[in-house]
Amino acid sequence: MLFWVIAAILTLGASLAVLLPLAGGTKGASSAGEHDLEVYRDQLSELDRDVARGLIQPAEAEEARAEIGRRILRLGAAGQSGPAARRSSMATRLVATAAVLAVPLVSWGLYIKLGSPDLPSQPLTERLAKNPADSSVDELVARAEAHLAANPSDGRGWDVLAPVYLRLQRYSDAVSAYRNAIRLDGDSAARQAGLGEAIANAAGGIVSAEAQAAFEAALKQDPANAKASFYLAMGLAQEGRTGEATAAWQKMLAALPPDSPWRGAVEQALADTASKSAAAGAPANGPDAQAVDAAQQMSPQDRQAMIETMVASLDEKLKQNPRDVEGWMRLIRSYAVLGKADQARDALGRAIAAFGADSEEAKKFTAFAATLGLAATE
Amino acid sequence: MVETGHFALVLAFALSLVQMLVPLYGARVGNLKMMAVGGPVAVTGFALTALSFAALASAYAGSDFSVASVWENSHSLQPLIYRITGTWGNHEGSMLLWVLILTFFGALVAVFGSNLPATLRANVLAVQGTIGAAFFLFILATSNPFIRLNPAPIEGRDLNPILQDLGLAIHPPLLYLGYVGFSICFSFSVAALIEGRIDASWARWVRPWTLVAWMFLTGGIAMGSYWAYYELGWGGFWFWDPVENASFMPWLAGTALLHSAIVMEKRSALKIWTLLLAILTFSLSLLGTFLVRSGVLTSVHAFATDPARGVFILCILTLFIGGSLALFALRASRLTAGGLFHPISREGALVLNNLFLTTATATVLVGTLYPLALEAVTGGKISVGAPFFDLTFGPLMLPLLAIVPFGPLLAWKRGDVLAAAQRLMAAFAAALVAVLVTALFIDGASVFAALGVGLAVWLLCGALTDLAVKSGLGNVAPAVVLSRFTGLPRSVFGTALAHLGLGLTLLGIVGTVSFGTEKILTMHAGETVELSGNTLRFEGLYPAQGPNYSEDRGRFLVIGTDGNAKGEISSAKRFYPVRQTTTTESGIRTIGFSQLYLSLGDEGNDGSVVVRLWWKPLVTLIWGGALVMMAGALMSLMDRRLRVGAPSRRRKPAGAAPAASAP
Amino acid sequence: MTRKQKRLSVIVAGLAFLAAATGLTFYALGQKASYFYMPGDLATATVQPGQRIRLGGLVEKGTIVRGQGATVAFSVTDKQKSVKVTYTGILPDLFREEQGVITEGSFGADGIFVADSVLAKHDERYMPKEVADGLKAKGVWQESKSQ
Repeated sequence: MLFWVIAAILTLGASLAVLLPLAGGTKGASSAGEHDLEVYRDQLSELDRDVARGLIQPAEAEEARAEIGRRILRLGAAGQSGPAARRSSMATRLVATAAVLAVPLVSWGLYIKLGSPDLPSQPLTERLAKNPADSSVDELVARAEAHLAANPSDGRGWDVLAPVYLRLQRYSDAVSAYRNAIRLDGDSAARQAGLGEAIANAAGGIVSAEAQAAFEAALKQDPANAKASFYLAMGLAQEGRTGEATAAWQKMLAALPPDSPWRGAVEQALADTASKSAAAGAPANGPDAQAVDAAQQMSPQDRQAMIETMVASLDEKLKQNPRDVEGWMRLIRSYAVLGKADQARDALGRAIAAFGADSEEAKKFTAFAATLGLAATE
Repeated sequence: MVETGHFALVLAFALSLVQMLVPLYGARVGNLKMMAVGGPVAVTGFALTALSFAALASAYAGSDFSVASVWENSHSLQPLIYRITGTWGNHEGSMLLWVLILTFFGALVAVFGSNLPATLRANVLAVQGTIGAAFFLFILATSNPFIRLNPAPIEGRDLNPILQDLGLAIHPPLLYLGYVGFSICFSFSVAALIEGRIDASWARWVRPWTLVAWMFLTGGIAMGSYWAYYELGWGGFWFWDPVENASFMPWLAGTALLHSAIVMEKRSALKIWTLLLAILTFSLSLLGTFLVRSGVLTSVHAFATDPARGVFILCILTLFIGGSLALFALRASRLTAGGLFHPISREGALVLNNLFLTTATATVLVGTLYPLALEAVTGGKISVGAPFFDLTFGPLMLPLLAIVPFGPLLAWKRGDVLAAAQRLMAAFAAALVAVLVTALFIDGASVFAALGVGLAVWLLCGALTDLAVKSGLGNVAPAVVLSRFTGLPRSVFGTALAHLGLGLTLLGIVGTVSFGTEKILTMHAGETVELSGNTLRFEGLYPAQGPNYSEDRGRFLVIGTDGNAKGEISSAKRFYPVRQTTTTESGIRTIGFSQLYLSLGDEGNDGSVVVRLWWKPLVTLIWGGALVMMAGALMSLMDRRLRVGAPSRRRKPAGAAPAASAP
Repeated sequence: MTRKQKRLSVIVAGLAFLAAATGLTFYALGQKASYFYMPGDLATATVQPGQRIRLGGLVEKGTIVRGQGATVAFSVTDKQKSVKVTYTGILPDLFREEQGVITEGSFGADGIFVADSVLAKHDERYMPKEVADGLKAKGVWQESKSQ
């Protein structure tokens, strides 16, 4: 509301700037000739000063004076033809009215087309000062980041932020947050295991030597750390040492308390490994492997229904959190594989919209879609 | 606030349309009321543009990522100063700065132009309004800085790290003040062509504007050069990069315009030259804007390329350059010729100066545009660099520099070269001594270096000779000399300072290019290196954390002859994580007028680091000379003559004028 | 001389001056402009050893060898052909494997390109225009793959 009031005041001010001179009286304007005369007079006095200071010889000065005098004479001969104020004709009145009206019309017309009057300013400090309950996760994270930027040696802060990064899939940020937490607050099994997980995820799920070192450090602190054991076994499996991996997981399963959340993961991993060795190199891996396995044993209708539910839930999730590059690519691929080209294109359009049409991500999406034989509809 | 800024921008566009049409129509039909519209509209338009710019700047300062351009070019962790300067560190914001300055100059004409003839003032403001309208439209149609994002991202994508420097706070505003300042000269010229006559007050008005614009452009170019020098880490001060040329061409043409305007004001001669140069200078400014903003060139300045923008600016360019030149062709013949002069006279010297400068501008233009034209026609890609300009620009500038000291010593109308040469004997002797000393006593001095030093000394002494002669040194008693010296018009000091500055810059260039030394080597901590009498010890690399970057800072101690440390130089490799970009911060230590310049290269595995070290003798004179030139322009601006305009209501009695002493 | 003759001689002198400047400009363009090539173009174009050119392309993966002091050897490729380049000096900050680069210099007698300047892109978002155009023309690079 305040904005519209300001806009109205500004428009009024601008219109007045046009209207007042048109409405006001005119001072008697001096003719161009008078202006010229003044300049020549000044040139003459300057000449006199120069002579007085000895800058030019009297003879030269005389010549220059004659020249200026000639200019003044020519001015007189040309006559005084100043702009004569004429009666305002119909045409000039029309132009004046159009000019006054043009200001509000052009500005409001253009602004309605270009502006976003309903969108308030959102300076970052204001957004971060909001009640945390109203803030999005992103805003909370940004608040924590601002706090840590000001107090980079707050180990607890890094400790809290690191798992959040991990959940938000900002793996490389998670890596540095865990590292900072370890540097400032010392080793702990949870931090080392988290660091390992972040490194592994940053590398696309591959348990590298660096990640392995972190997990081993975690186990040194707490030999019963489930995450570290699980990922170390995963690392073995990735190296093709399936037997050792299976043994490690089975050992974990035996040791885990019955209500441990890791049970499910370990069981699934065991099943994956088993089916993979059974299928001798079938390309099933990743978190969906088990679900895909299950789907293969279903009737075609059930399978289709299940896949569509999964895709729909992914779609829903992306509507909530549109800044998920991987998610969008998965969604586009899913629709394409399901033969729903229209929906795939729609997803592509939404993905591009989420990041802005000329963003790098948008280019990535377009390229990715092109590999699936889709073109963006814009 | 953001939307208020957006609305103010649209409103300013609407007003520029009125400013373009109403005063022009008023001047045509002789309606004083309509002509009077120009002033208030120009001032209001400036106020609205300023409001709009303030809104954008506050969005940048407050990291309002709901504004697309803020999100694209800013980051909340940047220090406040870079968040603010980031406002014009991108295409959209820099165009807004451009029109802000344009409307600012328009408002100045409106405020200070009350003593101009009414029709001239109306026409000038109308032309100014036309330029404004074209650029407002360009901004709103292709480069709107107020496009919003909803929902707003929580963090921005950071400003290009190269631009996160104080240079961004100074270089673009100065450069734009220069570029756009010439729009006033352009508007005056077009207004004169529209009216078909040049008032006597015309030249009085154009000259100070030219001085202002020229002063800022000089500063802007010098600042840009120094910025590139220390920021890019190559130790070069001028690269003949097309974008640099784009700012250099208006400077060359503007310098010619400046000299032409003097003749025009004093002698009513060179009208055609002055008009044409005013049009050319601003056209070259527009061309520079086109080259930089359209994406036809790749450079630090090309923020983002968008074909629509290129086409739009090309249209503006064609409209203004083509339109004004066509008007010139139609109307120039109507202008009455001014005072006559002998080829050998101050006027003649200035014509020669114009000829050299415009030809030099043309060679730079050819060197800049030829590769673009060739690519458009044949698809072949060439690059025209320093070797080309050394061969063309150099031979044109050298004779010009050699005759500069003669100019101010020649009389108007009919000069005497021999007399001038006699007065310059001392300067010539000094230059000769400089050549001999350089050739004989400095190791490795080439003939060119010696001549270069001699030319610089010639310019310096020539400028001083001018002052000495004008205060009557050697002809009158010392006390009179002093009083004459202090009584000299400020424009005489302005001329001398500007020419002095030119000499200093030349000396800096010759010193750096001819006597500079450099070394590239791999250093371990504790090692020392010697370069042109300076000894440096590498202390090691120290990691550090900045607000939005991390860096490895290499520290070097400058060791004096007694073995003790005299000072420290540090150079750093900075990594900006948001853009995944590394930059090099060079380390510079100024010793006298010279500089020791150091820049870090890659780190080896064994803790060693590649170091590139330069000794740059007299390098600071390059930019110091530009400062002196600016001071000269400022001095000329303060000349009382330029403050006088037209019929003043409270004039002194005519008899008092000759007696009045100069300020 | 009459006034008219004087005027004429001034004009003639001015024109002669302009003609000289024009001649010099075009001579310099012929002599001093350096042409831009991609490695694949060199097979068809004849480039003499010692002739100054600009060579652009991508820094081939795994070819960067740091030698004595500040000398670096690497290959520039357009994915069709590649050319060995040596350079002594400090590489630009954005010089990386698989990134666009423009080198300026000339071929030595041994067929190795000796660069005296190496330009990478100014900003991580952009590729040098010549290289981008060249790669596009060869169908190696698409806008979308720039990252």
